[in-house]
Amino acid sequence: MTRNLTRRQLLAVAGLGATAALTGCSTVAGGLTTSRETGTLDFWNLFGGGDGVRMQQMLDGFRAEHTDIELAAVTLAWGNPYYTKLSLATLGDRPPEVAISHLTRMKNLVRADLLEELRPEDLARHGMTPDKFNQRAWEAALVDGKAYCIPIDTHPFVMFYNTDICQKAGLLDAAGKLTPLDSTEAFTDAMRKAKEVTGAYGGALAFVSETSTPWRMFQSFYSQLGGQMLAESGTKVVIDDAKATQVLEFMKKLTGDGLFPSPIDYQGSIAMFANGQSGFLFQGEWEITTFQTAKLPFSMTLFPNVFGGGGNYAVQADSHTFVLPRQPNRDAARLDRSLTFVRSMLDQSKTWTEGGHVPLWLPFAESSDYARMSPQSNYASAADAAAYDAEGWYSGSGSNFEIITGSAIGDVLSGAATPQQAIAQMRGNLEQLAGTPSPL
Amino acid sequence: MVTAELTMDRIHRREKLFNRICAGVLIAFALLWLIPLLWAVDTAVKPNAETTRTTWLIDNPTFDAFTRTLRETDMWSWYGASFIVSSLAALGTVVVASMAAFALSRMRFRHKNIVFWAILAGIMIPGQVLIVPWFREFDALRLLNTYWAVILPQIPAAIAVFIFKQFFDGLPRDLEEAARMDGASFFRVYRRIVLPLARPAVAAVAIFTFVTTWNDLLWPLLVLSNPDLMTVPVGLATVQGAFGIRYADTMASAILGAIPLVAVFLLFQRQIVQGIAGSGLKG
Amino acid sequence: MSTQTSAQTDADARRGIAPTAPRPSAAPRQGRPAAAFLAPFAVLYLLFVIGPALYGLVLSFTDASLVKPGLNGSAGFGNYAEALGSADFWSSLWHTLWFTILTTPPLVILGFVLALLANRMTRGTWFYRLAFFAPYILPSAVVALIWMWLYTPALGLFDTALTKLGMTAPSWLGDAAWAMPSLAITTVWWTLGFNFVLYLAGLQEIPRDLYEAAAIDGAGPWQQIRGITIPMLGRTTTLVAVLQVIASLKVFDQMYLMTSGGPNFASRSILQYVYDQGFTNYRVGYAAAVSMLFFLVVLAVSAVWFTLVRRQERVV
Repeated sequence: MTRNLTRRQLLAVAGLGATAALTGCSTVAGGLTTSRETGTLDFWNLFGGGDGVRMQQMLDGFRAEHTDIELAAVTLAWGNPYYTKLSLATLGDRPPEVAISHLTRMKNLVRADLLEELRPEDLARHGMTPDKFNQRAWEAALVDGKAYCIPIDTHPFVMFYNTDICQKAGLLDAAGKLTPLDSTEAFTDAMRKAKEVTGAYGGALAFVSETSTPWRMFQSFYSQLGGQMLAESGTKVVIDDAKATQVLEFMKKLTGDGLFPSPIDYQGSIAMFANGQSGFLFQGEWEITTFQTAKLPFSMTLFPNVFGGGGNYAVQADSHTFVLPRQPNRDAARLDRSLTFVRSMLDQSKTWTEGGHVPLWLPFAESSDYARMSPQSNYASAADAAAYDAEGWYSGSGSNFEIITGSAIGDVLSGAATPQQAIAQMRGNLEQLAGTPSPL
Repeated sequence: MVTAELTMDRIHRREKLFNRICAGVLIAFALLWLIPLLWAVDTAVKPNAETTRTTWLIDNPTFDAFTRTLRETDMWSWYGASFIVSSLAALGTVVVASMAAFALSRMRFRHKNIVFWAILAGIMIPGQVLIVPWFREFDALRLLNTYWAVILPQIPAAIAVFIFKQFFDGLPRDLEEAARMDGASFFRVYRRIVLPLARPAVAAVAIFTFVTTWNDLLWPLLVLSNPDLMTVPVGLATVQGAFGIRYADTMASAILGAIPLVAVFLLFQRQIVQGIAGSGLKG
Repeated sequence: MSTQTSAQTDADARRGIAPTAPRPSAAPRQGRPAAAFLAPFAVLYLLFVIGPALYGLVLSFTDASLVKPGLNGSAGFGNYAEALGSADFWSSLWHTLWFTILTTPPLVILGFVLALLANRMTRGTWFYRLAFFAPYILPSAVVALIWMWLYTPALGLFDTALTKLGMTAPSWLGDAAWAMPSLAITTVWWTLGFNFVLYLAGLQEIPRDLYEAAAIDGAGPWQQIRGITIPMLGRTTTLVAVLQVIASLKVFDQMYLMTSGGPNFASRSILQYVYDQGFTNYRVGYAAAVSMLFFLVVLAVSAVWFTLVRRQERVV
């Protein structure tokens, strides 16, 4: 039978408990009551890797400048879990003062009444007027003409290339610039040449356990053809079969012909490019830090305009924005604290841009400082050609929408589905969501 | 006689060989079972950059990953939260369930069968199917993002009442009856006589409530959204993305998250194992 | 603990009568102290079990939203109709069942075999117990972190080992066909210790002299296992199997942590479906309806258990 607890065991437990209680003392008290400290600033973000490091620098910059504000920054796993957490925290009356939200996700948070409106006079008090921001991003961020977020960057899908491999493959011109890959033939040809040099693969695109990356490539190509996914705030699915098939057939050939590895997950694709097993990598620009740290000979440029022809360039992108979740009570001092923080982040746009993102804060974006940054300024025009994900209560970066589309596209890349099957799957799943009354 | 001895001898020899094979298979499985844990430790004591070479050899052993994890995450708060939440849930469950079980075991009252069956029916309702109404309820009570949201739903555990009742039913009553004759109140009998005798049951229920509360993920994940309030599993589940490809740090955080319960296990090994064996208790 | 109580008290417990208590007519009722002793449990039980269960039932007939107050209008049986007509609902229910099918047999059989082997050992029991049971005590998040690293494509221990053996590793968590078996392997590693301990306890209750008698009759180890051990462990096996099935049906952690239900929703369990619908999509009413349907499944399994136990008790 179960032996009685011995004195030794009880002492050990008491000791463990005392240690735990002492170390977590302040928070423990916080967890048993609903009160909260004042004068602090909680900031939530979803930045990992290089972004995380740079955000840390910017936060340190803020701390050095504003010693009176106690800043507590928290990094959470990105995607649906992040937004679920942000929603639940706001509903539970313990939201952070400031949080990062993707522009495409911000709109649903607004419709769910989880964000504070940012009144022009409050913004102006901190020098953040609409004319100081990139107009495409600022206007894309308005909901019914009102501002609920302050965008800091546009992060487009870009093309990384290994300069050594491209040199050997004869893909660089005399000035060391990559020859344009702006047609299906030029693109495939470049991948083939790079493959010959690496002996492994031409390019790499993650699609295993990863839905956003394949979606981003698809959306870029598909938008270049002028295709739309959703209409009428997400209540209608308007996939253009011909255009989607054209793009999927093209993508399918990349893995099918062995130009791209299959299967490969996110980290695998990064490792492959970093180890010189592929000459190109298609990913968000934020991976710049990884390759700089690895001292890889590489550069970055706009995602190629394979299908857009002359004037119709588009590339999948989203913007990181600062939002102020709805607080249980209004507090002017807290609002000013929060806006001071956001302004400080904008003022450190240079640090943020080093991480690869395209700046939207014009005082920096139009400066020669930015123009001199290479490769970061190579793709500055992506901000004006940004193809944001379509609106819908189930849409936005890392949302169900991207999971549904990205999974189907991934199945095409792995050979598990034909383009027709993938489109049928996307349409079926999206129509189900489109037909459901919006819970917002 | 001689032939019988010979047969016994043969049987013994055959059994010895059989035992040896058994031991071999068992040890092989045990080692297989230890590999993931050893590999986690092996990875955690390497520098991050050396983890991707995938070898058991450790060229530059270091505890950097541990110190970095403790510095960069709220691990200490998580320990504190987990400890408070699990202890209070265990305490609450023991008190509330043993009192109810005492009434069911020792007192005569009307509709006792109905009460007993109503409680027993609770065993059939898994907490997981209640997360949606719970969330709205705690929202209405303004208790989201407090430890009470994690503690309170754990306490009315029908299974604990059942375990206590079974144990109380098996206890001798002479002492209690004598005490009652001397005019001792029910509470006194419960507190001074029955509860001390029921220490094995108290230990089993307390340890199990503690461990299941500590390990619970789904419900705390929903109600503890502020990282400095999170329990260890919720914290690990939420911030894991922040580590990216720093495998040593990831493994260090896993090991740090495991340490308290491994300590509990080593301390209470016998109670835990016998508790399971005795009652078949499981989340 | 239950092993201590005799069959008699078991039966009494089922009737809710204390074994040595005088019959009700012989003594006065003790309603007031009983109410006082039951009150704390009863209040919490009503507040956090019965109340929410009824409230959940009400919610399931509404269009309630997480981000809107109130019930947001009646949906009638709309939520149930939507769930029963939804491919996602059925596929996540199937994933849950598939997970149950994949984990239960190995967990029961391996638990039995390893306990049988460990029971024959005279030394080192602490070591086997540590090896098999230690994982069970770990939080799911810890298990997930460790196994995600083991399963990491190309760099993980499994891939490296298989490559050395000249085989190509599957994409453990990334391939729709492999994700569930991979999660099942992790789960078997994680929870085997529980069944191991239950079986070990069951084995120790089988009287030694049964084996000795069989050995004298010339029965080898194999005949002894078939003739004595397996039949004597019948009740333990029922208990293990049913606890296993119910625990598997409630799976959430492993998928949520290791695959997020992917790839392409191929490993999303029914509970994650509830989570996704209720808390990510804010559709509380619909999520409540799915919870109710899930509850019916658990109830059906529990009912089968009760029938099995009843029948066994009549036989033994």
